[in-house]
Amino acid sequence: MNEGNSKREILTPRERFGLLLIDENPDRCNIIPLITSHAAHIARIPLSKYYTDGKAMAQAQIIALEEYRHDALSFFSEVGIIAEAMGSDFDYPDDDLPVLKTPALTKRSLSSIDIPDPKNDKRLPVYLEALEYAYATVGDKIPLLAYVPAPFTTGMMLSVPNTFLIQTIRHPDLVHDIMKICLQAAIEFCYHIINAGGLPIIVDPLASSSVISPKAYEEFALPYERKLIDFLHRYDLDIILHICGETEPILELLPNTGADLISLDKVDISLALDKLSKKMRIVGNFDTSKIAFSSPSEIEKEAKEMVRKGMVSSKGYIPSTGCEVPIRTPIENVKAFINSSKEIAWYWD
Amino acid sequence: MYKDPKPKKITMDEWSVRFKNIDNKTIKKFVYYNNHDWGLYLQPPATFMVYGTRELRRLRFDNSLAALRMWGFVFNESERLFRARQSGKKIVATMGDLGTVSIIVMAFPDCIPFYPECIWWTPFFNESTVLLDLASELGAPEAACFSRAALAAFVKKAYFPKPDYIFASTGATCDDYSCIMQSIEHLGYDFMWLEVPLRRSPAKHVSMDSLVKTKNGFEYPRRFEEYLIKEYEKVWQKMVEITGIDDQNLLMVSIKKANQVRTLVEKIKRTTYQAGNAPFPALELMTIEFGNLYGYADMDEWIRILEMIYETIVERTKKNIGIISEDAIPIAWVNPTADPYLLDYVERIGLRVVDTEYVINQALVEIDEQIEPFRALAQSFMQASLIGSTAQRISSINKAMRTGKIEGILITNMLGGSHCAMETKLMERLLKDKPVLAIDVPAPFGITEQIKTRLQAFAEVLHERRK
Ligand code: SF4
Repeated sequence: MNEGNSKREILTPRERFGLLLIDENPDRCNIIPLITSHAAHIARIPLSKYYTDGKAMAQAQIIALEEYRHDALSFFSEVGIIAEAMGSDFDYPDDDLPVLKTPALTKRSLSSIDIPDPKNDKRLPVYLEALEYAYATVGDKIPLLAYVPAPFTTGMMLSVPNTFLIQTIRHPDLVHDIMKICLQAAIEFCYHIINAGGLPIIVDPLASSSVISPKAYEEFALPYERKLIDFLHRYDLDIILHICGETEPILELLPNTGADLISLDKVDISLALDKLSKKMRIVGNFDTSKIAFSSPSEIEKEAKEMVRKGMVSSKGYIPSTGCEVPIRTPIENVKAFINSSKEIAWYWD
Repeated sequence: MYKDPKPKKITMDEWSVRFKNIDNKTIKKFVYYNNHDWGLYLQPPATFMVYGTRELRRLRFDNSLAALRMWGFVFNESERLFRARQSGKKIVATMGDLGTVSIIVMAFPDCIPFYPECIWWTPFFNESTVLLDLASELGAPEAACFSRAALAAFVKKAYFPKPDYIFASTGATCDDYSCIMQSIEHLGYDFMWLEVPLRRSPAKHVSMDSLVKTKNGFEYPRRFEEYLIKEYEKVWQKMVEITGIDDQNLLMVSIKKANQVRTLVEKIKRTTYQAGNAPFPALELMTIEFGNLYGYADMDEWIRILEMIYETIVERTKKNIGIISEDAIPIAWVNPTADPYLLDYVERIGLRVVDTEYVINQALVEIDEQIEPFRALAQSFMQASLIGSTAQRISSINKAMRTGKIEGILITNMLGGSHCAMETKLMERLLKDKPVLAIDVPAPFGITEQIKTRLQAFAEVLHERRK
């Protein structure tokens, strides 16, 4: 339980996370690298099994937990899951993640697209089954984060991505119409996730500044992130918004989403802390190319540096990776990240 | 505004569906400590389930807004205690006496008492042995009462903040919990011990003692009362030291507030138990009873919740609509259930709880407002079933049994628990010739088919006796 540090861990990840959410310093930081499909690699199962079989997904997550002893499980494979349930077709390579083949809106009109039923449509039930299995198995000890693509990201997976981006300029009304139905789909999915014991984490990678301008973000992505988070706040849940890619140009806009925790990728952590840490808890942002390709000792050094900076955050900090841990990242590297963070991320003596 | 549907017990999933119809205005209306930033608490059971309260998936709940409000408030208690500390209030643990020392603490402005032993429900609600395992590691044996979870909670500091001070009552209280309290003291907390006398008839011991008779007809020597008064004065002095405030009028106010809760709960129980159709479920009623101890850390809001519940119950009773089958057999329940699922389960099999002996009767009776406050508190405490004989403990149940008000008795036996297990055999003997079922409450998530079959068989026997 205690690899990499000499202190006795007295709290379970769930207790630790609970304290963070009520503005109390836990024994140490929650350390939550985004171990999503990488879990399949740890469990030695084909990726196609991981994202099509809920029990396999849950078991892989639990095996990864036993290996790493991190502080939350991450139920996710890729951002197309809601779009797929709304009619987009995906290829399922045997040992890679699903790939968008035919977007729904190239086959059908928007008015013919229904809000999916998460219990029955495409791979949404896989996620629910995974959550239920993990909740029954380890749900008393660890939070289960269920990644939900935000409306903008789903919208782009319903269309040919380039066309969609052009429509934000030429046909903004159409884009808003797409957003509205994607928002309803995300709400419905979240509703079932909650009933399965998962805490929704909203992911909007295609709304990052690597893909769209801050203006487009403000007009098309942010309002729907906000509406989705408002829905979840009715349940009094604390919500993580994760945007991977560039976010520096939109940093100041992020508190307007209403998210309680913000998970960031390519941004200077000191700048993010400066701008956001009084309003939101910060999650992030170890460079995923470094976790995949650096040596364990380099990772240790940089992770410690990052944690030292992050821990000054007044509303709390979660050391994490900026994006998903790449699937075939060496185990020693992930361990180096987690254990070195654990070593220095202590609030209690 | 949300309108209550036809009364029914519903699952967590069904509450989630219903919750969609609750408007934001209603959600924002209910807050604790009058704080609209972080004091919201009206949430469906699914919210608490997401945060680890796993048994909620198996339980069924009353479908009224009042019940939803109550559960939201109760499940938010841990957060509330931390928020209290963050907003500058003093947190005082009162242990062992169950319901009296808390009234003294509450008299001081911005002082919040709480009973750490009530954490014993957490392993069951969470279907988790996390707290019990740690308690075992810390030296509280597996055979001790589930209240040992409190020891682990003190070490973890994740369920309530480190108390500013602790008052611990020992003596005629529970032996198991006395051992747990000693272990907690050894962790280095600031403590004051109070001694609670055993209630016994004076005649055989010191004949010149003057006698006091409690409302429920039990006797004790006057000097016991004098002794308790001195103990309570010690508590008062300590609180004066902690807060710098010394105004005994505040104690009168606190007693009045406690009485307001006690009267309301008495009315809720009486109306529910006497109704032809059970208007409110047993699990919710147990939660209401235990609220008498300290109002789940916000007495004022708890009173408002009780008022809403009472209105709901009266409304239902007027219409003669209930939440379980009309021919359910009335039974009495002895000892707090430990596993909440049991209280839900008995209603599924046609039993109806109409009398309880949860070892907290001292917190249910009204405190005399006409006499000097410490004496009034001492007199109310001297009625405690906790400090008397087993025969006294079950005397009211015995009486109810004779009048036909109840047709069976269910005892939940906590293995190893001193009050709640050692007495079971005695009780069975005292209640001989009456249908009694005693079941051992297993560890969290341990209700087996065998236990369910025994409960079903008991229900069948009671139904047969009616024929
Ligand atoms: S044995 Fe009974 S009285 Fe003692 S702590 Fe346990 S439940 Fe309470």
